[in-house]
Amino acid sequence: MIVVENLHKRFGVVKAVGGVSFTARDGGVTGLLGPNGAGKTTTLRMIYALMQPDEGRILVDDVDAAGDPQGVQARVGVLPDVSGLYPRLTAREHIDYYGELHGLSGARLDERARWLIDTLDMGSIADRRTRGFSHGERTKVALARALVHNPGNILLDEPTNGLDVMSTRAVREIIRRLRDEGRCVLFSSHVMQEVSALCDTIVVIAKGTVAAMGTPDELRQMTGRENLEDAFVALSGLEGDEPREEAVR
Amino acid sequence: MTPLSASDASPASRTRGLSRRSLRQMYVVLRKELRDASRDRRALMTLMFTAIFTPALLGFMLNRIADRERRQDDVQIPILGVEHAPVLIDWLRQQAGVKIVSGPADPEKAVREGEDVVVVITPEFAKKFRSASPAEVKIVSDGSRSASRPKVKRVRDLLQRYSAEIGSMRLVARGVTPSISSPLRLEDVEVSSAQQRAAQILNFIPLFIVIAAFTGGMQIAMDSTAGERERGSLEPLLVNPAPRSVFVLGKWLAASVSSVLSVVLTTGLSIAMLKFIPLQELGIRFRLGAPEVAGLLAAGLPMCFLSTGLQSYAATFARSFKEAQSYMGFLMMAPMLPGVMSTLYPLGDQAWMYPIPMIGQQVLLAAVLGGRQVGVLGFVVAAAGALAAAAVLVRLTTALFHREQIIFSR
Repeated sequence: MIVVENLHKRFGVVKAVGGVSFTARDGGVTGLLGPNGAGKTTTLRMIYALMQPDEGRILVDDVDAAGDPQGVQARVGVLPDVSGLYPRLTAREHIDYYGELHGLSGARLDERARWLIDTLDMGSIADRRTRGFSHGERTKVALARALVHNPGNILLDEPTNGLDVMSTRAVREIIRRLRDEGRCVLFSSHVMQEVSALCDTIVVIAKGTVAAMGTPDELRQMTGRENLEDAFVALSGLEGDEPREEAVR
Repeated sequence: MTPLSASDASPASRTRGLSRRSLRQMYVVLRKELRDASRDRRALMTLMFTAIFTPALLGFMLNRIADRERRQDDVQIPILGVEHAPVLIDWLRQQAGVKIVSGPADPEKAVREGEDVVVVITPEFAKKFRSASPAEVKIVSDGSRSASRPKVKRVRDLLQRYSAEIGSMRLVARGVTPSISSPLRLEDVEVSSAQQRAAQILNFIPLFIVIAAFTGGMQIAMDSTAGERERGSLEPLLVNPAPRSVFVLGKWLAASVSSVLSVVLTTGLSIAMLKFIPLQELGIRFRLGAPEVAGLLAAGLPMCFLSTGLQSYAATFARSFKEAQSYMGFLMMAPMLPGVMSTLYPLGDQAWMYPIPMIGQQVLLAAVLGGRQVGVLGFVVAAAGALAAAAVLVRLTTALFHREQIIFSR
């Protein structure tokens, strides 16, 4: 379970996140929905403890990210915004590398790698070097290595961005499967259908704050719009607004 | 769900001391980087190039000097008018390394067209020689051509020696001590010899070892920092639960292993190559025993850890491999500078130089090659200086790995 309380983060004069709070429960899929530059990526980075919040608190399975960042990192599996691979290593070696960094080894690691390769349908690419992999294949490798230590919490930053239909379906399938296993899945997206199809809870983020939170139905009721996309636009106050640069420069 | 106990990842172990778990993780990073590099053609090429090119260049230069020395010994003199001075010709033929050939019909044209020297004996030679008046021998050469000078000088010396011998005999025949006609006895003491030139080339060995240390780990140092940033693989890597120092140490050690390998190969091959060069022929007494090899390595190896530390630190600032490469160019200057300076301002070797990183190593390398005795303490102090500097650089790099701008910006 992930609990986020009153997160703040600024980069120089730019306020990226200003008071984000939500809870992502186990056995559920929570979606961070918002336009580019709303603060989704920054929020996720603070949760997996690579970024320090200026203010606020993060608890992952009751472990405080500020006090024990590695404790948090041991409990999360992360697919970051940018998930580069090593072109000279095979897919399996990527999984093994992260597994060993998590303290896995021997038969346990082999078994886990085999399971991930089967589950993600990577059998044909598992022992090929990743140079020249398609975007879908690369995402699968990145996902497999993120899940190698069997984490209870999974953070995915725009996991289907740029994927073709088949790969997108595969990723959604994995997300559902992880949820059914009782894990806490938190992912960010700006794609409406995806969020409405997958999420139990939607957290609408706009301009660094939580604009709304609830089930898809609750959000529709809240705004009085039948169409979720209209609801989203209304909630995030997007009309006539310039999107802000998201990445840290 | 996660097999980690809280104590493994406590904040205390994040900064202070390396637990067994951290050591294991460091080894995992080190092994991954080495495996990655072993499949990197660029990294392997750099390693091989330095290791093979250096001894090859050394051997080539020394061989050329030896060749030129040999060629100077064997001199072939074209002489026009051999028939006019059979005694002189016989005398010349008896001199070691001298071969007489009959000269070209037009000696001046022949010299202008590339012949080093032609000796011309005029038809009056025999008559004048018999009447004990100076008999004329012409040495035709081109004074502007420096390459022919040694040969011209050799010919002139030979003829003068003959002249002096005949002169002495004539004086003896007339009852006069020959030494009376030699008020001065000149003796040449040559200091710039082939021996010296060869010794100068051996002085390049420390420089080659420095270059090997610097290039050997460079590819890994760049690929594991700037390359990792460029590919966008740094952020997911750092999400793994390990202290930042573990990643930095693993990467730095991987680069250092490669650098050490480069130095060992370069030193080993250079020494092995020197065994095939006829150094004795060049008059060089150069001992190539195990103690010298051990001394060179003891002096040179600490440099590996320092240079990779410096490279890792600089390359971490770079967002791309290319940017890192441009930094490496500047860094190359750092180890070269003491070497260049020492040729301009010879500092000798003094105790205060040993602890200074890079300078200490180069002073020691020169001392070992020069056959000077250096105590164990000297090696220890120099190694400590270099390793302390390396440790500072690794700490600084670790600090960079904590910066959000480094982790996220590409």
